[in-house]
Amino acid sequence: MSDMTAPTTVILRVHRFTPRPERERARAASPFARKASPFGGSSASARRKPRGKQWVQEYVVPARPQDTVLDCLLAVKRTLDPSLAFRYSCGHGMCGSDAVAINGEPTLLCTATVAQWAKAGAGPAADDEGFRRTGIPAQGGDDAGDQGAADAQDSADAGDGSLGVIELAPLPGFPPLRDLIADIDPMLDQIRRLKPYLQADGVLATTEDGKIDVFEYLQDPGQLARYETLSNCIACGVCEGACPVYAGGDAFIGPAALIAASRFVNDSRDTKAMERMDAIDTEDGVAACQSVRACSRQCPRGIDVGEEMWQIVAKVRER
Amino acid sequence: MSPKHLEEMYDAVIVGAGAAGLSAALGLLRSPAMAELKANGTEPKVLVISKLQPLRSHTGSAEGGIAASLGNAEADDWRWHYYDTVKGGDWLVDQDAAKLLAQYAPETVVNLERQGVAFSRLDDGHIAQRRFGGHTRDYGKEPVKRAAYAADRIGHQILHTLWQQCVALGVRFAEEWYVTDLVLEDGADGADRRVAGVVALDTHSGQVKAVRARHVLLATGGAGRLFHTTSNSWDLTGDGMALALAAGLQLEDVEFVQFHPTGLAHTGILLSEAARAEGGVLRNKDGEAFMERYAPGHADLAARDVVSRSIMAEVDAGRGVADPKDPDGPRDCVWLDMTGIPAERMEGTLPQVVETIRAYADLDPAKDLVPVKPTAHYTMGGIPVDTDGAVYQWRDGARHTVEGLFAAGECSCVSVHGANRLGGNSLLDACLFGTRAGRAIAARIAEAPVAGEPDPTSADAVDQASRARGEQLAQLLAGADGANGAMDDNPYALMARLGGVMERAAAVRCDAASLAAALEELRGDLEPRAEVLRAHEGTAALNQEVTAIWEVRHLVELGEAVLVASDARHESRGSLKRTDFPERDDERFLAHSMTDASGAVSWQPVHIEDYPPQAREY
Repeated sequence: MSDMTAPTTVILRVHRFTPRPERERARAASPFARKASPFGGSSASARRKPRGKQWVQEYVVPARPQDTVLDCLLAVKRTLDPSLAFRYSCGHGMCGSDAVAINGEPTLLCTATVAQWAKAGAGPAADDEGFRRTGIPAQGGDDAGDQGAADAQDSADAGDGSLGVIELAPLPGFPPLRDLIADIDPMLDQIRRLKPYLQADGVLATTEDGKIDVFEYLQDPGQLARYETLSNCIACGVCEGACPVYAGGDAFIGPAALIAASRFVNDSRDTKAMERMDAIDTEDGVAACQSVRACSRQCPRGIDVGEEMWQIVAKVRER
Repeated sequence: MSPKHLEEMYDAVIVGAGAAGLSAALGLLRSPAMAELKANGTEPKVLVISKLQPLRSHTGSAEGGIAASLGNAEADDWRWHYYDTVKGGDWLVDQDAAKLLAQYAPETVVNLERQGVAFSRLDDGHIAQRRFGGHTRDYGKEPVKRAAYAADRIGHQILHTLWQQCVALGVRFAEEWYVTDLVLEDGADGADRRVAGVVALDTHSGQVKAVRARHVLLATGGAGRLFHTTSNSWDLTGDGMALALAAGLQLEDVEFVQFHPTGLAHTGILLSEAARAEGGVLRNKDGEAFMERYAPGHADLAARDVVSRSIMAEVDAGRGVADPKDPDGPRDCVWLDMTGIPAERMEGTLPQVVETIRAYADLDPAKDLVPVKPTAHYTMGGIPVDTDGAVYQWRDGARHTVEGLFAAGECSCVSVHGANRLGGNSLLDACLFGTRAGRAIAARIAEAPVAGEPDPTSADAVDQASRARGEQLAQLLAGADGANGAMDDNPYALMARLGGVMERAAAVRCDAASLAAALEELRGDLEPRAEVLRAHEGTAALNQEVTAIWEVRHLVELGEAVLVASDARHESRGSLKRTDFPERDDERFLAHSMTDASGAVSWQPVHIEDYPPQAREY
């Protein structure tokens, strides 16, 4: 695809939102709030209709298939519309700041390429019935990237230089704040609730005659392997936005917080595994996971979140 | 996360939440002085302000390692580390500071481990260590395994661990607040100026906040966004350094910008030095492993500035290659050949490198050659600080401390990196000197904690600055009528233009003519354009363009200081290659440049303690 000579473009269809200037402090979510169906609606806080102006805006930008969606959005800021708001920082999938919904699927702007996500057809954002095509494969779909790539090839055949349409919306499951920026504080609060820090015994290793031998805690490569992948979580929120229970608004502490808890449960240096498992053995803890495994699909750190959920649930049950 | 209410006066405000800022917060709160204060029932009022949620800080992108002579993998000695650091910095290193760096490195790394960092391990359970460019045994002999690592994600591990520890201690954050002003006030009786606080934009509410503080620590990171090709995140706009300039303070050694040799072609994304430590080799278009020619014995693991200049020399000699993504483009890259690294080992020790190459170059490093190009990576210079993090001014041949003001990490210059930083020393600098600064602040707080009533004069100064900034914000937002119609200037376009100008003039090498041309462009074109920028939309809440306008103004101001300091140094040393002054000149320039916003440059002698300058050969 990189040998294309004619300049190509992509259409970004962005779901925008500008908050109303006179700000009112939103009320805290009521514990008695109506519970939504796990597959419909949105979370308790997101369900409050955001106050402000909402609209869908399309931008046509020059793009090559291998460009990232973030590249395209930065081109919009530079050349078309500096007011478009979206979080971004490192630009290569490490900082976790740019999680959004691309064609309805939560993922990072900086790791998503035009080739993967541009779809043929520049039809309206919603059809006559008001249904929006989300682009999420109905089931299975553990490789949405390939699915999207096939679409992109279809569209490249259109011949007008357009690589197709990419639809962008804020991360599902979190209150939208402005354009593609969502309030992910609820996730960070949930992570913080589970004491996400090492609680070790503080004892220094000693030699046989009682002298201090090593100063670091010893941990062999096998013990490290038990939690290393979990420790790579960047708290981007992609798994949470993909989880129908979490994003659907049910009371659920969420996969990101459970990954953080599991990281310490599996760390040989930590002494609080039992307490940690007690803390997540609750209605809105492991019991709320319905094993849908949508959380695994787009994890930018390659964590099989669904499998890890399964493991920690089993561990909690067996203790 | 934002504070529910602001205190009338803070004991300490820390600006920035990467390795340095978080280490400072932890160093402060865990110090014996604080424990005593708390035991007496006084809770110190501390706030960490950061323009990003802390976990987004650029520390998280550091890949290779953190240097310490733990001696876990093979015999090592902190004196060798000390010597390597001095030599790597081309003897522009303050040796008292570098000595502390090397001496306390093992303690720093062990403390990180005990806080939870998931270091890679040796079979016996100790922290694993690998070779890293410029780190040697026995004062410059063969390479030594000194970099403690966590696969190739050491920065991520350290950042998350420090944040987790801050959660444990209940550190209060003001996240996604952008500090616009550092406020100083005149000291009593003609004494030097002292800190009064900061002004910050709460980007969520769009409100300007006056934050009064007895102590302010700047830990805002580097300024890679001065250049088009950079490994730095979009947020590294030199804010802390520009705040210091705007407050009338000097910057030290800002002409020294490290270009990491192996950016992934034109993306600038970093491919860790670990790729070469594990066996990757640089090759020119003829397939020659050319580094052996430039740095016999060290070859691909020579210091970063040496490797970057060697790559440029190959490109200049017509032996460069084009980025395969842009085959008709300039031949300004060379190949990184990783095909000699066994596939299994590559996946195990370099997962991040492999993933980056696959995702952003669409190549398989096990089979394909990878195009690389030097990428702006680290600012050795910055806000001048002593070894306790206290900011000073160089005047009349002496250091004059700015009362209450501290700095740490990449935005500061304690001068452990001199003219060129060794790999693995930046995380160490940020964690060690961040912690030290935090402790120094704690000791001062313990002497006179905020008892509740604000200091009337500092309230005046901060309020005044806050009002002025609020009026400016209103101006920036007024008259915005959407982005329809013809696009006029905007900060994002201007930032791109600045990056191009700086790259042409000062990347890897420069001369008087290139610097003068760039300075004229900054002063004659970019600065006036930055001054008249206005937002295209009038809502204050989460108006990113407003922040970007202030960022680009910061960058232009800082860019001028970099160019002025580069022009003043008539020699080549470390990362600074003046093609018109190709030799090092210890007679005249074994000294730190001290540059202020007016363009005045003065010179501070280097602290030489144990190692007199020698030729720097690799």
